[in-house]
Order: sequence, then C-alpha cells, then structure tokens
Amino acid sequence: MRQMKRLLDVYVALQALFALSWCFTDADPGPAVGSQSNGERFKIEGRAIVPGVKTQDWVSTARILVEGEEYVGFVKTDGSFAVNDVPSGSYVVEIVSPSFRFDPVRVDITSKGKMRARLVNYIKTSEVLRQPYPLQIRSSGPHTYFMKRETWGWTDFLMNPMVMMMVLPLLIIVLLPKVVNTNDPEMRKEMEQSMNMLNPNPELPDVSEFMTKLFSKGSSKAGGGNKGSRSVALKRR
Amino acid sequence: MAWLVVRLAISMSLLYTASAVFEDQVGKFDWRQQFIGKVRFALFDTHSQASKKLLLATDKNVFASLNSRTGDLFWRHVDKTGPEGHIDALLMYGQDAVVVVGNGRLLRSWETTVGGLKWETVLDTGSFQAAALVGVQDFVKYVAVLKKSAISLHDLSSGSEIWVENLPDSDSVQYQTIYSGGNGLVLVLGVVPNSHIVIVEYKIEDGEIMNKKSVEAAWMSSLESSCAVVSSGILLCVDQITQSLYTLPLQSAEQTEMRQIHLQTLDLEVVSGFRPVLTSTQPNPAQPPLSEFFLQLSPDHHILLQFKDGLIAPLRDFNPAYLAAFATSGERTVAAVMSPKNDTACSINLFSADTGRRHLDTTIIYHMDPNGGKPNRLYVHAFLKKDDSVGYRVMVQTEDLALTFLQQPGRVVWMREEALADVVTMEMVDLPFTGTQAELEGEFGKKADGLLPMVLKRLSSQFILLQAWLAHLWKLFYDARKPRSSVKNEVTIDVLSRDEFNLQKMMLMVTASGKLFGIDSKSGTILWKQYLENIQPNSVFKLIVQRTTAHFPHPPQCTLLIKNKDTGLGSLYVFNPIFGKKSQISVPALPRPILQTLLLPVIDQDYAKVLLLIDDQYKVTAFPSTKNVLQQLQDTASSIFFYLVDSSQGKLSGFRLRKDLSTELIWEVVIPTEVQKIVAVKGKRANEHVHSQGRVMGDRSVLYKYLNPNLLAVITESTDTHQERSFVGIILIDGVTGRIVHEAVQRKARGPVHFVHSENWVVYVYWNSKFRRNEFSVLELFEGAELYNSTVFSSLDRPHPPQVLQQSYIFPAPINTLEATLTEKGITSRHLLVGLPSGNILSLPKLFLDPRRPEMVSEQSREENLIPYAPEMPIREEWFINYNQTVSRVRGIYTAPSGLESTCLVVAYGLDIYQSRVFPSKQFDVLKDDYDYILISSVLFGLFFATMISKRLAEVKLLNRAWR
Repeated sequence: MRQMKRLLDVYVALQALFALSWCFTDADPGPAVGSQSNGERFKIEGRAIVPGVKTQDWVSTARILVEGEEYVGFVKTDGSFAVNDVPSGSYVVEIVSPSFRFDPVRVDITSKGKMRARLVNYIKTSEVLRQPYPLQIRSSGPHTYFMKRETWGWTDFLMNPMVMMMVLPLLIIVLLPKVVNTNDPEMRKEMEQSMNMLNPNPELPDVSEFMTKLFSKGSSKAGGGNKGSRSVALKRR
Repeated sequence: MAWLVVRLAISMSLLYTASAVFEDQVGKFDWRQQFIGKVRFALFDTHSQASKKLLLATDKNVFASLNSRTGDLFWRHVDKTGPEGHIDALLMYGQDAVVVVGNGRLLRSWETTVGGLKWETVLDTGSFQAAALVGVQDFVKYVAVLKKSAISLHDLSSGSEIWVENLPDSDSVQYQTIYSGGNGLVLVLGVVPNSHIVIVEYKIEDGEIMNKKSVEAAWMSSLESSCAVVSSGILLCVDQITQSLYTLPLQSAEQTEMRQIHLQTLDLEVVSGFRPVLTSTQPNPAQPPLSEFFLQLSPDHHILLQFKDGLIAPLRDFNPAYLAAFATSGERTVAAVMSPKNDTACSINLFSADTGRRHLDTTIIYHMDPNGGKPNRLYVHAFLKKDDSVGYRVMVQTEDLALTFLQQPGRVVWMREEALADVVTMEMVDLPFTGTQAELEGEFGKKADGLLPMVLKRLSSQFILLQAWLAHLWKLFYDARKPRSSVKNEVTIDVLSRDEFNLQKMMLMVTASGKLFGIDSKSGTILWKQYLENIQPNSVFKLIVQRTTAHFPHPPQCTLLIKNKDTGLGSLYVFNPIFGKKSQISVPALPRPILQTLLLPVIDQDYAKVLLLIDDQYKVTAFPSTKNVLQQLQDTASSIFFYLVDSSQGKLSGFRLRKDLSTELIWEVVIPTEVQKIVAVKGKRANEHVHSQGRVMGDRSVLYKYLNPNLLAVITESTDTHQERSFVGIILIDGVTGRIVHEAVQRKARGPVHFVHSENWVVYVYWNSKFRRNEFSVLELFEGAELYNSTVFSSLDRPHPPQVLQQSYIFPAPINTLEATLTEKGITSRHLLVGLPSGNILSLPKLFLDPRRPEMVSEQSREENLIPYAPEMPIREEWFINYNQTVSRVRGIYTAPSGLESTCLVVAYGLDIYQSRVFPSKQFDVLKDDYDYILISSVLFGLFFATMISKRLAEVKLLNRAWR
C-alpha cells in the first residue's frame, strides 16, 4: 500500500504540469461535488463502430455501461448511442459486447454541462489525452477468449533448433564417408592427425577414434538417427 | 528498463498460472441459462402470420424477444436495476415496440427484428400514468404519454415530440387514462376521488383543448382499476358497493350524468370483498374498442358481456373460470377462458368474442404442476388457419413465475422457470451412489468375517461391476446404431449417480419467490422443483446441508431457514436435496425472532449435523433435539462459541453456550455508529482445507501462516460520505475471545466493498474516491518463522500477535461480486473469481494478490516465484472463464470442490445462471483433453519396430563379419 502511494505521489507531481497545459475547469475532486450540488442531468453521446461488421449483427447484444452499471444505455440500429440522465462528474464509459472488444473512455462532465472525453488511465488519473467527443469508439476486433492449443506438426518439430542441431551433424556423419574415401590409409592418417590437433587434451576419450570407427562400419545408423529424433519427441510431450 | 523487467516477469508468470478455456472445450462442461424475470407485459407479434416473436417486459427491467416456438431468446436488453430502469408500459405496432421506462422518464422504440434501438426520447419529469398509441384514419402515427400533470404526443417513427400540454387543474384531478378512438382526438380521463370525473379532449394536430367536461361520480375512487372504454367511446365503470355498472358516452354533449345499471337486473352479483375487474379490448388503436367485454365478479367467475344501444347484455357466463383474455387475429377477435377441469388440470377454450359461441375442437388441457403455483396470467396468441378458422396458442404464467406455452390439444411447447432469475442462495450436494457402487463401498465398512468369505465377496462385487460395464458397453453399441436425433440423453433422478470424479452434483437453488430447484450440474436440467407457498416477499433464506449423501441408508437432509425480514420470525423447511421431497421430521417451532444460526460438527445418531438457532433472548434451540444430541451438547457446551452482529448499534458480541442451552456473554466490541457502520462480517468457509502450513521462502526458511479458524473479518464504512472524509475499515477479530487481531483503514474510499476471507488472507475491493477507481487490497497473516503450537490451534492460547502484510493494487474495471476457488485438499493454487458488470467472470490468480510481491527483484524473490509489484492488476480476456456466455447482473458466485483436486466447480448466478469448472493449476491429475494418444502410440510402435529391425540388421552384420 505504502509503495503504491509513493508511486501515486510521483504521478500527481508529474501531472500537475499536464493540468497547467489544459485550461479545463474540471479539477480532480471537483465533479463529484458538483453532482450533489445541482440536480441537472446530462447526456453522453457517441457512436460505436465495428469495422467490417453490419450493425444489426451486434447491436442487440451490446450495452453502454457508465461507471459499472450505474447508468445504462443501448445502441441504436445505426451504431450511435446516448446515455441519458447522467449528472456531472467523471465517468468511465464502456461498450460491452460479448463478441467485440471496445476500449473504455473517460468522460468528464462539468457542472455546466461541458463535456470532454479522454483516455482511461487508472494510474495517472488526471492525465488528459483527449478523445473526440461525441465519442467515436472503434472496436479493436473480436475478443480473444480462447487459448491456442499447442498443436503438434511435423514442420514445428523439424524446425525446432534442437532437432536441427541433431539432424545436421547426423547428415554430415552419414554423408561424409561417402564423399571422402575412408578406406584410403593415407587419408585416414591425415584425418587422425587433424583430429588430434583439434583435441588439446589427449587424456580425454578420443572422439576421433570413435568417429573413424563408426565411419568404417558403414551405415546402420539410419535407425539410430531415427531413434534420437523420436526420443526428442518424447521429451517434448 | 525496470518496467520492462516487470512486464517480462508478469508475462512469464502468466505462462504458469493461466487457466484459460480452449476453444474445443466450449459447452463441454459448462452451460448457461438465460432468464428474464417475472413477466409484466407480453405481446405476440401479430403483424405477420409466420412471426415467431413474443415480446416481454419484466419486473427485472428486462425487455426481451422470445421465439414462441422454442422459448429461446432472440435478444434481450437488460436495463439498469431499480426504479430508473423500470418498464412502465409496452406498446407494439408493426415492427416497432414502444417502451416507457423509468416512471415515464424515457420513451424508447425498438426495432423488434434486429433488437436494436430505433429512437429514444427523454420526457419531462412527472410520474407516469398511462401511454397509448394514437391513430388517425386507420393509421397509427403517434404515441401519447400521460403524466401526472402533462400529456405529450410523439411521432411513432422518429420519437420527436409533436406537442406537450399541461393538464388543467392537475393539483386536484388525478388523470389516469388516455383513450383515442381514431377520430382525431385524444381523450384524457381524470378523477377527483369520491366527487367527479374529468374528461379533456385534445386535438391531435396541435394539442388544443377541444372540450372539457366533468361528470358526477361520487362513488368513484380510482379510474384505473374499475373502468374500461368499450364500443365507440363509452366509459364503463363498475362499483362493488352499489353493485352496479355505470356507462357514459365520452363525447356526447347531452348526457352529463353516468347512467346506472344495477347488476341485479343482469342477474349478477359481486362477491363481497372482491374488487370487480372490467377487461375490454381495442384490437386496432386507430379504431374504437369492441363492444364486448369481460367482467370478473369473483376470483373464479367471469362473464362476457356486450354493450349495445345503451344496453348491456350477457353473452356467456363462465363460472367457474380462473382467467380470461382476448386475442385478435386479422379481423376476428376471440376470447380464451381457462376453467378448472379437475384437481390437477384446467381446460382452456376459445369463444368468439362477438357472439360468445364456443369454437369447436379448441380445447387445450393445462396440467397444473402439483409442486407449483396456481396460474395467474393468460396470454393468448390467435392466428388464422388455412381454412380460415381461428387457431390459438396460450402462454400461462403461474404464481411461481413459470411460463408455459401450450398448443392444442395440450402439448407443452416450452416452459421457462423465471423464478431462477432471482436466485438468493444455493448449495451443491454430492449425488448418491448407485446400488452397485454402494455395494462396493459397503464392503469396506463391514467387519472382516474370515478370509474366504471376504475373497468371495470381493469376487462377487467385481463380477457385478463387470456386468454393469458390459451392460454399459452394450448400451453404447446399441445407441450408436440408432440415428443421432432419436438418442435422447434424458436425465432423471433415477439414473443420477455419482461419477468417478464427483464432478456431477446436485445444485440446490433457492429463489426469492420461494421456489426451490434441484438442478443437475452437468446438464442444467431441472430435476425437481418445489414451490413454497405463503412466502413473504421480503424473506431471507439460509440453506443448510445437515446430512450429506455419505450416510447411506439415511437420506441426505437439507434445512431451509426462512426468515421474515421485518419481524425476524423464522420457520424451517426440511427436505431431501436429491428428490426434493419434504421430510417428515418434526421441526421445532420458532416463536421468537432468530438472530443467528450455527451448524455444529456434532452429529446425532442418524448422522445429521446439529443446527443451533439463537433467538433474540439469546436462548438456543437445537435441531434435531434428540436426547443423544442434548447429551453431546452438554458435554461440549463449554467449547461452543458464537457471535452476534447488531449493525444498527454497531455492536459485535461473543457468547458461549451453557449446559442448559442458555448463553453467557463473553466479549463485546462496540464500533461507534456515529463514525462508521458495520457493512459485512465474514468468517471462513467450513469446508475449506489448507494444505500447507507455511510458505518456503527464498532462503529456505519457512514463514508459517496464521490459520485461525475463528477469525472474523468485519468491514465497516464511514457514515460520512463526503469523498474527502469517507473511509473503509477492516477489522480482524477473533470470534472466540473477541481479541482484535488487526485493524486497517483505507482513507478516501467508499463501498460497495466486496471481500473474500480464506486461509490466512483477506482480499477486499473498495472504490477509491480520490482517484475514482477500484482498488484491491490484500491482507495476509503469518505467525512468523516458528509455530507457537503446531498440533492444535486455540484462540485462547495465542500469546503472539500475527505478522500482517498488506498490499494494494488498482483494478481497472468495476466489480459486481468476488469469490475464491475451492478444491478438495487445498493443494491447488487459489484463484479469485471476479464477476464483472460486463457479465464476464474473471479468474484472477491469487499470485497477483500477494503482499510479498517485491518492489525490486532479488534472487530470493525470483526463487519464490514472486511477481514484482506493479500497481495495476492485469485483466486478460483469456482469463474470462465464461468466454462469450456472459452472465447478466451477476450477483453471486458459488464454488464447490470436486473429487479431483485440480478441479473446482463454479456456479455464477444473477439474471442468468452459468455453471462451469475451473482448473487453477491446470489439470495436473488427469490426462488433458488434448492428450495425443495417436502420437504417443505411434512413437511407441515406431520405437518397437525400429529396435526389431535394427536387431535383425545387427544379426545379419554379425553373421557377415563372422564369415569375413
């Protein structure tokens, strides 16, 4: 709680500058007082737009909620809406629809009935980023309620870096003996030498020896390679 | 940079805690039912013959369109609750429905095919009296709205105001009805009670007063209930004191007095004490009403009368008849009358309105539900058949808010239980075992009687299981052969039994109208219903499960405490939750107001838990109160404590039970009511399990939780509502000793406060009036690094006060209700279920509400999996457990554990009911839905064959080498 307050203090200090630049009469705590002092009621107007969808397909399920369910409005068949009988104050106006997502907007109404709309910012509550008024609320697409299932496809599997790292050396192992004649004793000696040079510590188990042994044996590792990749698949599950 | 780290950490943690719905799970284990409430107005769309629309406006401020063939909703508009959204009138013409809302504040026109708003007009203030469609020359163009002191006329196509006129002498005259016969005039009728009637004629074009007259009527007190306009502008009134009808031609200049016709001359008589009711019909607003009308003389006596040439002639007498209604199709108007047939059924017949003759073959038999209420409204949909005769369907509304739609000869087309739109409280009860299951379970309970009989018994029970399984397989095979449509999964009480993971339960729902429902949680089918008559509308209910299904052969037992809010007097209703039958057990009489109930873990010899009821003299009544129970109570009395809350005096008090079932005051805490008032008090849920006693910290030490089962969370709100001085307080108090464990105040905050109290934490939400946003605050209590007494918790012996940690967060949405998930053993991580006004239910991981979330990320906090602190709580659409199945006006969320530790059953209720399952830590104890059997088996087979082949190859190779 304490740290949040500290954060907020910083924000308050910051937005004092903002407040100066906007010569709007609505001070932060003002509107709620205004609503009590006079009983005048105002109307929040606007239009909801869902690009590419006919209005009749979504208007029957949409509602306009002002500050929770404190004031409720409905969408007309052309997408416009009006919420009547709202006293002065600051409200979050939200269009709720089970199928489309709309971003909420904060609407400030002064006691004289002057209106402005701004982006909702719950952290810097009095930061003003103006939005058009009457409201123009454009849907940002359908809701994404569902998580994607992790599907298993051969391409996903093959493009996996681990698999790539395993398959490439395997190919080299299988193909290299075909390119280089390993039965040639001179060649073998040369290779052994180069391998030994690469290996700085002779105490370690000799990889080259193992490899050359493997090369000389010819090819029965198709199964082995297969095995390796499958066990990876097992791990992935 | 730090921000980025926080973001990253959050998104990382989301990967582990997300409990979202996958698209293929839609409808698999969840269902939603939508309701509208008690119907106040219902209109059938008679605009075209093929129309299936039925428009309904209800007392829940809902305006809906129903498919009259299936009973499903086409669309539904849920307005604000309370008087501001109250629907005063519903009128329909063609495709448009005009609705007057909020005591005549708003006039709305709806496009009924799409369900969109056509226009909306704000009317002047003034209490609403009546509204009517006004036609000119056979064409309806206007709608007139009558307020207490003004009348206004609006254009039907655009809603624009044509004119508004003040009514003359509106201080003394009560204007109550409008009449328009399509002749260019609007007539407003008013009454000065027990003096005279005032009739004012307005010209449609400009609202000019054409004529104004007053007629003596000393006997009349109200126009609305006793008068109707029939024929070409004849006002007809009935008075039960003088036992006569009065007629008055509204537009004739000569007659200045109402003509009295004694009911005796028609051989009729009003039953004493009954207010007679006149019902007329005006099929077309642009034409005068019909000259036929119904007169109701007693609750079950209707008579169809005709007004002709100044005379009244009876057409047909319906005695007995409960309900009567007119309906029009094309040019023909019919009357449907419901009369009792026998004790359990009613018959509805159709009569032609102009002659009173019965139409042949039009009887509909309506069977009354023995557990339901009596029919009280009849809505008739008449239509012309191909042979030009009139056919009809009826919708019957009963006292228990059930809507039944019937067609000839009595087939129920659909039925809606609108009582479920107002669920007050609910419980979930395990289903009983089947015979075979019980047999198997019984084996473990019995004493061992030798090795061989045990083995035999085991074999026989296994054999029974095998048999059941084979039968099941056979049924599956048999069903698979049949076409899909003919296989109906009918759920009845008889076939219900507990499934292997106890995921299917019986939902008991108590509704405000006093109707109880037993609903199958898997399918949402209503298995039984019981209407309790004579329930006061302002009753409060408390449902208590006294005996679960675990004590076969004793039937499960639930007790419903019904308490009148005003008098505090209560009564008990004991029933079997599985079958809904009323139990024969005698219940104690409760002559005094009940203050508190207490369900003890003490059980009687029949395994029913003991319920204690404390009355306003602090006397305790036990139920059941057998000798055994009383003996047990005497033994344990010194350790039975309870608390009482008196919010009007701001007093919290704790009591202890004495051996003679009286009580003694132990402690008392007074919260001065001048400053703050107690809003809510909550203990912990009795069926909650806490698995881990502490939390392992980053440095491998353990922080032990303060798990006090007697802890109460008390929420207070300041009486001063000024936003600078208002506050919300929370007091944690020990219910046994009255010791205040912790106290916290949130300044510049106000309610409504929603809170959850569980384990060692309390989460509460309040409105921050300074920054105008909702904030979550979490309190967690810890004992510290050592437990004082690790074996048993005693409130009386806890010398060290707990360490309290608190943190607050911004919640970027309004909140309707809050609840926490609950699982069998409490191992699964907890989620908070937040009901939002948008209708979504958010499953918020408790991980985000952890007061130990650090400001700075350290090695230790990372090891503990703590998310770095961020002021704003994230809301992600994937966390909405009910995807697009929104629950309107969600009022409560009920959570129940299932047999699977990973799974928690959730029921959200409000206007709608939504049932689902949540998996806060994913499904760790069962195979996932998307478990890839094919992949696993193909890999296994692949490996198997690969080893076979390579073995063979190796053999060949060895052989070759040997030959070399």
